[in-house]
Amino acid sequence: MGRLGVSRVPIVRVEDTLIATVLEDLSDRDALLLQEDLGRLIERTGAAGVLLDLTVVEIVDSFLGRLITDITAASRLLGAETIVVGIQPAVAVTLVELGLEFKGVRTALTPEKGRRLLRQSIAESRTGKYRRG
Amino acid sequence: MSGAHDRHQSMIDQQRMTITELQTPVIQVWKGILALPIVGSLDTARAQEMNEALLEKIVQTESDIVILDITGVPVVDTAVAKHLLETVSAARLLGAEVLIVGLSTRTALTLVQLGLDLSHVTTRTTMARGLELAFDRLGLEVVPKRAAAASEWAGSA
Repeated sequence: MGRLGVSRVPIVRVEDTLIATVLEDLSDRDALLLQEDLGRLIERTGAAGVLLDLTVVEIVDSFLGRLITDITAASRLLGAETIVVGIQPAVAVTLVELGLEFKGVRTALTPEKGRRLLRQSIAESRTGKYRRG
Repeated sequence: MSGAHDRHQSMIDQQRMTITELQTPVIQVWKGILALPIVGSLDTARAQEMNEALLEKIVQTESDIVILDITGVPVVDTAVAKHLLETVSAARLLGAEVLIVGLSTRTALTLVQLGLDLSHVTTRTTMARGLELAFDRLGLEVVPKRAAAASEWAGSA
């Protein structure tokens, strides 16, 4: 399955997981499109998990920061767990300084670790043992 | 006069550099576990440096757990606690969990009286307990090698 969605962020589907790789610093408009895309795709595909890969993102402002928290919360309501992966040290420092600590958002260092954590989160949410990371 | 002054200045600079180097050793104690013993007081500049060094090390070693040892921090006030919580948050964004160890009763009481929300931070009293928890999180277990050692182990526990 190829690229999905209309935003400038490519989203691919691997089994029951959607992988969104943010390839450039997003404009507010693109970020909003990404949010819509993900919501629609979770609905359409019934995906159980989302990996949001920020490896190549160098700047996360307060708008995108809040949007990521929103995406995570909304995806959960649609039945998909979200793991944010690849946050760079400098981005982490900025986010903490902005007071955006991604409360309730699960994170992992690499996409690989993210996939493992996602498996675990999905299993937990199915058995009702889900707890905030 | 100015020569002596310069010498003094360069000596101070050198000492400052040495202190800086001593201040933030990030130690990999096990695969996936980093330890960061903090000795002395924690001001903003030092906290920032420590934070940067730690985040770099997490990326470099792909660590899952960081044990922050505050045994050597004399006073934990609001400012110090804020720095510690910032470190916890930043590391978490990289997918690493931070355990704060080395809390004394006094520190614990101070933190509670300051009204800080530490509900999302895992703490232990000693580095040993922190390490035990870290192993547990990674699904590891430390077991004695021989029967003789086993009884000694049981006796000491």
